[in-house]
Amino acid sequence: MRRLQHWGAVAIFVGPFLGMLLLFQYVPVLRMLWDSLWDFALLNPDKRSFVGLQNYIDMFDDPDRRQAFLVTFGFAVGVVCTVIPVSFLVAVYLNGQLPARAIVRTVVFLPVVTSAVVIATMWVFLFDPTNGLVNSAFALVGLPRMAFLTSKMQALPSIIFMMLWQQTGFATVLFLSGLQGIPGDLEDAARVDGCSAWQRLRHVVIPLLSRTTVFVVVIMTVFSLQAFAPALIMTGGGPEGTTNFIAFDIYELAFSLQQPGLASAESTVFMLLVLGISLAQMRLLRTRWNY
Amino acid sequence: MELLKKLGTLKKAGPWLAAAAVLVVILAVFLGPYAWIVASSFKPQAEIFRDLRPISWATFIPLHPTLENFIHLFVNRGVGRALINSAIVSSCQVGFTLILCSMAAYGLTRIRFRGANIVFAIVLMTFLLPIESLMVPLFIHVSNLGLQDTLVGVFIPWIASPFGLFMLRQAFEDLPRELDEAARIDGAGHFRIFWSIVLPNVRTTLATLALVTFLFSWNAFLWPLVVLQSPRNIVVQLAIAQSVSIGQLPNWGETFAGATIATVPLIVLFVFLQRYFVRGIAMTGMKG
Amino acid sequence: MIRLAAAALLATAVAAPAWAGQRSAPTADCPQGVLTLSLLKPQNNPPTPVMIAAWEAANKCMKVELNEVPFGQLADKISVLAASGSPPDIVMFDGPNTQTYAAAGVLLPLDKYFPPGLKDDMVAATLTEHTYEGKVYSPGTQQASLALFYNADMLAPLGITPPRDLDHAWTWPEAVAAMQKCQKGEGDNVSVWGLAPSRFGNATPGFVYRDMLFLRTFGDPKAPPESSLYKTYWGISPDGKTAQGWLNTPEAVEGAKFFSDLFNTYKITPKAGIPNAFQDGKACFTIDVSYFVAGLVAANLPFKWGVTPLPYAKAPIVHTGSITLGVMAKSKNPDEAAKFVIDVSTGKIAEDYNRAARALPAMKSISAKMEELQVYPLNIFNEEVARWGHPRPPSSHFAQYDKVVTDALRDIAYGADPKTRLDAAARTVQPLLAR
Repeated sequence: MRRLQHWGAVAIFVGPFLGMLLLFQYVPVLRMLWDSLWDFALLNPDKRSFVGLQNYIDMFDDPDRRQAFLVTFGFAVGVVCTVIPVSFLVAVYLNGQLPARAIVRTVVFLPVVTSAVVIATMWVFLFDPTNGLVNSAFALVGLPRMAFLTSKMQALPSIIFMMLWQQTGFATVLFLSGLQGIPGDLEDAARVDGCSAWQRLRHVVIPLLSRTTVFVVVIMTVFSLQAFAPALIMTGGGPEGTTNFIAFDIYELAFSLQQPGLASAESTVFMLLVLGISLAQMRLLRTRWNY
Repeated sequence: MELLKKLGTLKKAGPWLAAAAVLVVILAVFLGPYAWIVASSFKPQAEIFRDLRPISWATFIPLHPTLENFIHLFVNRGVGRALINSAIVSSCQVGFTLILCSMAAYGLTRIRFRGANIVFAIVLMTFLLPIESLMVPLFIHVSNLGLQDTLVGVFIPWIASPFGLFMLRQAFEDLPRELDEAARIDGAGHFRIFWSIVLPNVRTTLATLALVTFLFSWNAFLWPLVVLQSPRNIVVQLAIAQSVSIGQLPNWGETFAGATIATVPLIVLFVFLQRYFVRGIAMTGMKG
Repeated sequence: MIRLAAAALLATAVAAPAWAGQRSAPTADCPQGVLTLSLLKPQNNPPTPVMIAAWEAANKCMKVELNEVPFGQLADKISVLAASGSPPDIVMFDGPNTQTYAAAGVLLPLDKYFPPGLKDDMVAATLTEHTYEGKVYSPGTQQASLALFYNADMLAPLGITPPRDLDHAWTWPEAVAAMQKCQKGEGDNVSVWGLAPSRFGNATPGFVYRDMLFLRTFGDPKAPPESSLYKTYWGISPDGKTAQGWLNTPEAVEGAKFFSDLFNTYKITPKAGIPNAFQDGKACFTIDVSYFVAGLVAANLPFKWGVTPLPYAKAPIVHTGSITLGVMAKSKNPDEAAKFVIDVSTGKIAEDYNRAARALPAMKSISAKMEELQVYPLNIFNEEVARWGHPRPPSSHFAQYDKVVTDALRDIAYGADPKTRLDAAARTVQPLLAR
């Protein structure tokens, strides 16, 4: 009787969560693996033919798919490499005894609570070559007018810049909480030893922040890999596929080009890659830096 | 690096100027776009274009403000409906997430049962699953369940949130067990302990989770785009995305007005509850 | 909190009814209740509120509810909807997609609803385009073709008078010379563009309906069928299954190069959209359809404007076909939906629309009544359809072809190498067509 009660309680408390998780995460994953072995169209999903691993072979053969992976990972690298230094500097700035700290922190954080859709919408207008604010600001300081999103060379960097703008606040808050977690006496000791501000930063602060840094890298990588709205709203994946992020490629393959089988194969590979990268980074996080 | 040094020496009274300059740059870069969008949403098209070149204070302030864009949005584009739908979806998602996650967290921390580790491993596996990779199978799956193109279909896949479970599990672990053991001796069952002992003690965490969930739900785009079709069920992010077609738009101001409307509720929430937001974000950082 | 959640759930249940065809409670006038038909359509396109109001007035117990999306998102939307459990009853789709949707069973064949004589009344180009395996899927709301609009006040001082009949139509080099002359400013400071940016599709360059003409006109339908000149003109094999060797011929590459030059060498047209560029006097020329005339007349512009036939390179060509109404196969109200489609595509409602919108009718009977079709400027569009008109490359996978080629042309406009990009497009689309 007690046993029954015990398991009854477990079922009531854990059951709903687990049930929903299995129903809406695990079942779709299985469905994805299954669908990736078929050739069919969403317009007519009942007419399907079994193709085995052909979708995977086609995917790796197809330069468009390979480019989507390259672009997405390039984007992630670009975002990480810009967000980390900028947000670190802003965090150091905010950690000092400065005027208007609260205001700056609020302002920098605004893009974090703004949706990806609004941000992409905002920036597609900001980047407009003819009537965009960015070009107007450039004109003010004498820079030439830029093509931004319609240029093969500038489109991805433009979106990286937008992402930097969007994510700086998030990373700054993480760094800030890391900075505030550094024991004050450590820095004091360094100061007493005659270290300059730069030396304190270099030899005390930065090493102690490596755990936070790794975490910011993980978060920013995962956020960047999931980019979708910029491609849909700003560039349609172009020019020449230079902003064809994987998530957008999957969406287009499944719904516009009516190849959900191929899209499922790409989703599977994408999922494994993201899981692999995140796990590797998390592992790095767990094993070191327990100060 | 030059900048870094300057920042480091700021405490010496001298380079206040540098600090002020940094401040101005940060404010301009982060507030400028918002100011332009919001100001332009109160302007007719011709004025938006005219005020752009050269940039002046008129770019950021509507000299002859008009509500035309907003009126058109509500009357012709049904943005009111979209706002109501978004509010429904987000509050349902918050409510159910809190219920499911707190119960599961209680089960995992307060009821000792065999297989708890397996359950936790199952949850852990999905923590990093990118939803972007699931959209196609999930769409087919949700359609088969008959939930496609319903508001329930928008939030129900996400209420068993691994993130929420982690967050609450941590808070529950931090709660001293003496509290519920005392209650148990008094004869309280799991529900009593859960409801009147544990939950009241993790209110801050619950509030933080509620805010973060609301934020994600309100701002979600890809899944609603795939699962919703009818104008009756449109949510606010879709309404905005649907109006973006720069070269065709008779009036940019209308899209800007939509963006403003969709963002204001969150900014108000954020400004008043900043503490919780930042705590929630920082917490994800500390716990890893 | 639980109470709150429960209340919210209740609200959801109330607020989330299925979209498709709803019937309200019976009223005195409508013992069966009022039926609401759902209709998906692109923004700024027919059926107009006037047409719907006229139909609702004639059918007291029925209403039509609109879902409008930007034209560029229409095809994706239909794909997702077709796969969904609650598609709309009626859809306004792009005519050349008839085959795609019919082959996938998305659309309902309408033959059995057609009144006698309707099929014979349809304009030949429309009938061909809306037929798949012997069944007709839409009567057609309008025909359309593109011509070149010009700002006469800007051209007059330059001594340029564009031709007004097809036999004297400009070639592209002539048109480009005029555009270059008329453009004001260069580099970063263009105040008046030679040619307005495309407002079609996503309002980025590349939309097949307009921009594939730049490729096809470099071909020749009179050349031998195995020649690349001939293949360039058609853009796809007759069975709709091969694009390789049709889309990326040397002549098509030449056309794509010319298209690219407009943006990158002559720099007479911008890469990004400018809303209303022609109406606002920011462009001398624009390529548009006959119903653009109605907009210009209504706008009462402060300048004189005119229309000249679409320029050509080797062989003149315009795309026929337009957006049109169909009934979704999954509609739960097929009879009523078919009635709506046929009613607003024929008779008085269609005639009033065609006249008001300056649209070329898809019905011969209406064409016969519209004497304005024989008069400038509409005669140009009308004759173009008759003499130069061809459908967009027909295939049961046109929707995919359309998307891939549109992306390729957009990239070429932005500066991609024409040959490489067309080859890539042919490679991408080929397996999709062959399926």
